[in-house]
Amino acid sequence: MGINSFPLLMILISYILGFLGILFYKNNISRAISTITSIILVILSGFLLKYTISNGEFIYNAGHYTAPWGIELLIGNTEAVFAFLFSIIFFIVNWYSFDSLKKEIEYKRIKIYYFLTNILIGSLLGVIFTNDIFNSYVFIEIGTLASCGIIVIKNKRDNFLATLKYLVLSSLGSGLFLMGIAFLFSITGNLNMSAIHREVMNNHNTYTQVILVSTALFTIGLGIKSALFPVHTWLPDGHSSAPTTSSALLSGLVIKAFFYLYVKIIYRTLGVELLEVQYIFKVLLVLGSLGMIMGSILAITQSELKRTIAYSTIAQMGYVFFGMGLGNKIGLVFAYYHIIAHALAKSILFLSAGAIVNENGNKYINRVNGIGKRLPIELFAFTLASLSMVGIPMLPGFVSKWNLASEAAKTNSYFLVAIVLISGLLNAFYYFPIVVRAFFMDSEKEKSDTKPLFNINRALPIILLSIGLVYVGINSEKIINIFLSGF
Amino acid sequence: MENLYILVPIVFPFIIAFMVLLRSFDTRVLRNIMVVTLVLCNFFLVLLLGKFQGQELFLMSFNENINLFLKVDKFAIFFATMASFLWSIATVYSTKYMEHEGREKAFFFFYMTTLGITMGIALSGSLFTLYMFYELLTLSTYPLVIHSRTDAALSSGIKYLVYSFIGATFIITGMILLYQYTNTLDFSPMGIFGENLSADIEKKKLMAIYVLLFLGFGVKAALAPFHAWLPNAMVAPTPVSALLHAVAVVKSGIFGLVRISYFIFTPVLISVIEADVFINILIGITILMGSILALHHDNLKKRLAYSTISQLGYIILGISLLNHNAFIGGMLHLINHAFIKIVLFFCAGSIYLASGKTKISEIRGIGRKMPVTMICFAIASFSLVGIPPTNGFVSKWYLALGGLEGNKLLFVIILLISAFLTAAYLLPIVVTAFLPAKEMDHNLEEFKDVKESPFPMIYSIVLLTIIVLILGIFPNPIISFIDEIASNIIWR
Repeated sequence: MGINSFPLLMILISYILGFLGILFYKNNISRAISTITSIILVILSGFLLKYTISNGEFIYNAGHYTAPWGIELLIGNTEAVFAFLFSIIFFIVNWYSFDSLKKEIEYKRIKIYYFLTNILIGSLLGVIFTNDIFNSYVFIEIGTLASCGIIVIKNKRDNFLATLKYLVLSSLGSGLFLMGIAFLFSITGNLNMSAIHREVMNNHNTYTQVILVSTALFTIGLGIKSALFPVHTWLPDGHSSAPTTSSALLSGLVIKAFFYLYVKIIYRTLGVELLEVQYIFKVLLVLGSLGMIMGSILAITQSELKRTIAYSTIAQMGYVFFGMGLGNKIGLVFAYYHIIAHALAKSILFLSAGAIVNENGNKYINRVNGIGKRLPIELFAFTLASLSMVGIPMLPGFVSKWNLASEAAKTNSYFLVAIVLISGLLNAFYYFPIVVRAFFMDSEKEKSDTKPLFNINRALPIILLSIGLVYVGINSEKIINIFLSGF
Repeated sequence: MENLYILVPIVFPFIIAFMVLLRSFDTRVLRNIMVVTLVLCNFFLVLLLGKFQGQELFLMSFNENINLFLKVDKFAIFFATMASFLWSIATVYSTKYMEHEGREKAFFFFYMTTLGITMGIALSGSLFTLYMFYELLTLSTYPLVIHSRTDAALSSGIKYLVYSFIGATFIITGMILLYQYTNTLDFSPMGIFGENLSADIEKKKLMAIYVLLFLGFGVKAALAPFHAWLPNAMVAPTPVSALLHAVAVVKSGIFGLVRISYFIFTPVLISVIEADVFINILIGITILMGSILALHHDNLKKRLAYSTISQLGYIILGISLLNHNAFIGGMLHLINHAFIKIVLFFCAGSIYLASGKTKISEIRGIGRKMPVTMICFAIASFSLVGIPPTNGFVSKWYLALGGLEGNKLLFVIILLISAFLTAAYLLPIVVTAFLPAKEMDHNLEEFKDVKESPFPMIYSIVLLTIIVLILGIFPNPIISFIDEIASNIIWR
């Protein structure tokens, strides 16, 4: 039982405590158990991160069976950073849910929510850590079902429709992913990622078409799950109708984990040396750019607050895919950095938007006038996150924008530079109107309810996230170096 | 660590801002006294910066080549001193003026943060740092532009944001491309290309970078075709229009232009890559268009705004002619125009406050009721036209010398035409105000209760007018200061 076993421990703790929590009759107990889980996760992943930074990456064999038979977990700097990020956001969102859930979902379902989120975070960590491709499929399925659960838990018509849409598209994605695994298995006889890579390197000349097909299958399958542009259509419905905390988890964490799995498959399983895989970078670059532009344009046309933010997620995932599509490791590292930036900013946006919607009792943007007086802390955090999205210097969004654009400029593709910068400009067009309405326009209601409302379980999580956002922006160099030293 | 002092003039206004926001004062007078005193303190703090000349303060690092740091050089001191001095006087004016606009707390908060950010712009040691403060400037001035919260204010606020962000996007594009080239963005009097400047430079690419950066900063400096936000932004309260749109915001744009033209690129390089050709056409258009459009507007503040556009054209011309005399002329005009325009705007504000009139056709005969205000207005107008011995004459003289030195006779002619146009749009205001006309009786009725403005307002107007006169008669100390700056960066 050294630090080596922490990754497995983290997955098991979230599952076991999740099941434990649902056994109790009272909501409070399952809430407490979920909170304890998240705190344990933060501590364990903190140690894990420290360990990998000083000792480099390591492999842990689950159940001490070695590779071809047992399941390997591979933990490097990147995995550790993401695990830490996910745990922290999970903890903060959990904290926020103390009060917000009571307003949004039925009383008897609250403990089911905590059960589902525990399962969800466990499978996301599993997706990140695992070095076994079939194991990752299992985690994906569990994670998808749990995500559906935390959307539909609100028990409204919209939620059922959104969940159905998500379930259908997601199953399609999983199916394609499974077919991809089957193709790879048929030519390599292995399910371990490193082993598959070895085999593929030996026989890729014989099976070029199989590799091409399975790459395409993985791209579409995981693209659906991580909201790649043309196959994103489930996302706005799902993320906007879900309860506040679910939206934050789904938008901030879930799609990121699937993206990271995709990176692992392209880089670690198939290998970027293959010509067939190289094609995919061009595709990602085009789709990422389209996502950046179209996501923002669609966001501008929305009238609902949470839908706008959900569409913005598509644009931001466009940045991430763009970074990967640049086709080199630097670009990929900037994509990783953007994942952190976006996870923090989007959680802030969804949590504060949830506060606005709950206070207003109305989900439309044109009703947010004057809300800044009633919810000052939430709106300041919202403004900060929007500024990061727009790209005001030294906030994380700016760092990504700068890095991605200058990486694109190095390849002399000025068109791509223009796309990154225009997308940042477009972000301004839908975030600023909200901020301006909230702070500078007077509400139609009487002045009686303009007293600031303060709720510690709502304000503190948001403040913590904001501090995290600023920290990530200022220390971008350090974080990027952690990623770089992982290669 | 003693360099930490460089941060003080930037942080101090923020402290004032939060003090205004969080403390509740017993009376308005108490708050006003405190604000004015502290802003004046900031001016003296800026003056002390002179001791730290040439020193740097490292703030944080962005990546291995780009650092955020502050640096005190002569040009920074020049800009910071001017801005903070005008700020303190404008604060005196606004303590009285803002009483009728309301939301004074919010006003003073953003007013002070803007001061801090402007100091940051002045003291930035690299283009990257400058860009950061530049973006913040947009954000902190936006609430001032929409202060009245009317529909007109909100829509011009949107225009302001859109233009500013487009400008910022130009700058960041230019910066990214420049960074690929040089791997550094620090300002240096020798230009950042330094010795690497060989014969096989990619002319077109460098030209594109320079033009992008120039247009980007040009948006704030109201260079045509990006000038349209400025007249719209005149819906803001008068002290804001005066300070931000004649001094802080637009002059920050100019400041950025000087930094990229002389501290990133160098005059030699710019003339090698022939980037100034495009720019000069735009400048010519700006000068003439501003003056001609000013003639058309009956709204006093709008007319002044268009006049600003045209005068800013002079200053940009001084920068882009790339020679010693033109630079002196441009910088001298930067100061002169700041003082003159602020007087004009303050007078317009006083007229509005006293009579509620915003149109020139409505103020006929007001000079009899507000003689001091209108005399100051007249003096400032004469200065802007450039009638000797006013300060406007001195700066235009140097600009014309620069034009001749650069063999650009066309610009000298444009200068003369524009001076004539300036007279054509400013002097009728003075004449209308003083000379009674046939409808005099009607206006007498309306102006029955009009008197001179309250003490803080009239005090700041008179003080500034006296400085305008002094600048005209004794321009030499400032000229020699600018001369030192110029001989550091123009060496050919």
